[in-house]
Amino acid sequence: MRRYREQFTRFHVIPLALILSLLQVGCATSVTRMDAGEVKDLSGAWNDTDSRLVSEEMIQDVLSRSWLQQYVRAQRKQPTVIVGEIRNLSHEHINVNTFVADMERSLINSGKVEFVASRTERQDVREEREDQDLHAREDTRKAMGQEIGADFMLKGTINTIVDPSGTKQVRYYQVNLTLISMADNRKVWVGQKEIKKLVKRSKLRF
Amino acid sequence: MKRIELVRSGSGGCVPAAGAARLGLFFTLSLLLGGCATYSETFTPVERKLAAQQPEHALQLLEKRRHSRRDEVLYLLNKGMLLRMTRDYEASNQAFEAAKRRINELYGASITEQAASFIINDGTRSFVGAEFEQVLVHLYMALNYLEMRQLDQARVEALQVDIRLREIAEHVPESAYTEDAFARYLTGIIYEERGEWSDAMIAYRKAYQSYNKYHDRFGTEIPVFLKYDLLRLSERMGLTQELARYKREFSISQWQDVASLRRQGELIFMLHNGLAPKKREQSAMVINPQSGRLIRVSLPEYQPRPQPVLRARLIVDGDRVRTQVAEDITGIAIKSLEAKMPAITARAVARAVLKDQTAKQAGKQHELAGLMVNLMNVMTERADTRSWATLPGNIHFARLPLPPGNYAVKVELLGSGDAVLATRELSNITIRAGEKNYYSYHWIPSRL
Repeated sequence: MRRYREQFTRFHVIPLALILSLLQVGCATSVTRMDAGEVKDLSGAWNDTDSRLVSEEMIQDVLSRSWLQQYVRAQRKQPTVIVGEIRNLSHEHINVNTFVADMERSLINSGKVEFVASRTERQDVREEREDQDLHAREDTRKAMGQEIGADFMLKGTINTIVDPSGTKQVRYYQVNLTLISMADNRKVWVGQKEIKKLVKRSKLRF
Repeated sequence: MKRIELVRSGSGGCVPAAGAARLGLFFTLSLLLGGCATYSETFTPVERKLAAQQPEHALQLLEKRRHSRRDEVLYLLNKGMLLRMTRDYEASNQAFEAAKRRINELYGASITEQAASFIINDGTRSFVGAEFEQVLVHLYMALNYLEMRQLDQARVEALQVDIRLREIAEHVPESAYTEDAFARYLTGIIYEERGEWSDAMIAYRKAYQSYNKYHDRFGTEIPVFLKYDLLRLSERMGLTQELARYKREFSISQWQDVASLRRQGELIFMLHNGLAPKKREQSAMVINPQSGRLIRVSLPEYQPRPQPVLRARLIVDGDRVRTQVAEDITGIAIKSLEAKMPAITARAVARAVLKDQTAKQAGKQHELAGLMVNLMNVMTERADTRSWATLPGNIHFARLPLPPGNYAVKVELLGSGDAVLATRELSNITIRAGEKNYYSYHWIPSRL
């Protein structure tokens, strides 16, 4: 039995220590702060970088096209835009709010376009106004029926084509945004951004 | 618990002293093994709660159970299904989405787990689900979205079903399961509601092809509803030859056209009937007469559960509609495990040889060490009995076009000889023109 114990100590302690140290690595939660602009692709799915690329491209495009000048020249005022439905026709559950919010912010801040609140936001504001009618001081009360009707509606779709083969997958995203004139259904601007990714998955893991 | 136990003594007929000790060891072992349950056995309490019609308690029980990281997908799948049964569709989809993410993370084969599966048992590998289970995740997520009336999100799942099935067809071409008829059919219904006729037609066509295969493999009849869908859409798309072929094949001459169906709404009813078959362990233990060492081989096997409900009958405004089996999960599960058995068996045999070698080597050092190693080897030889046990045994389906309005629907579950086993009243079902109203009924018999 003594020979046995000696053997155990000699041969088993070293691998045991190794296994334990390996186990410890995986235990603690770690958090690393990242810059919001940093590109980090983990799974290949739609992420913040894609959303940012789309909004940058779209904002640049929508502000540089002729529809804006034409409208200002003809109407002598800035166009008012409302965000309509952006349909997600892709194979991923994509949150479209991120790049729509980006676009809205840039367009408003550019001072060239005005935005009116979307359908759900409006509902909230109206409820508040009704509440004001009852409870607010008369000189601060906002009247009903003074809302601005939008001149254009921003609509869009996200489409994807996925081509999987073995461990590789090509993912193609196409974001289409259209600005439609509310008065006559004319499409005054169509923006498109394409993103293509090659996702390779490892056949082996640890 | 049934276990095949074989004991062979030496050819001389008299058992030597050491052999007697081994026999004693053998009996202690079988006692010990009886005490240490396989995965599917430890899941029984959750199933009992379901049989008692208490999905909330089943969920609590599931959440209380400890699960290892390698069983996480299984935990999430069961959690998603139980949340769905408690009608918490949003939380259910969160669990399913997490399961999907984890399955994708586990795409590659793990080196350490593969090694462990050769030394210890198959249960040391991370559970990623069989192919059919991976497709059914998308199906149930789509149903959750449809029941929350989020058609676009359901469409996302429909597209993922397509990608997943393409991957499976490429990955395991020899598998018994490369297409999922009901998943295809449901994606067709989703596209049709959105007015995407050509996508719907393609999906219906694929569903029809795979129902033909289902018919050969599992004896599932092609749902009559799908026949009407094919006729209606091929007419709408002007596919004259295809329409003529379907008319001939189905011998149906009258159907509702697209325009008139769009003026009506539809009730889409699904009965998620019973529970999927349970995996259990089938073991053989022998004493090698030459070496006197124990050898044990354990393999998984599906055990179908009783399915007392054979069909459901919907009664709306005096009209009676019978459901049809749209997905025979029991059949699919059994066939897909059968297709995997050669690989599982080969691994089990290789493992038995390897384990015997380790015991032999240890025995050369010291007899007791050999005995201990042998004991450990036999104790750890367990079959991988993990499966998505909260899936239904089969899914029944009915499509019911109705004029817009409010309805009360009576559902009768019929057993053999059309005896009514249970009824449920679905009151206040609102049907709107051009919309489909999905209703799922999970029914689990009280005796499993």
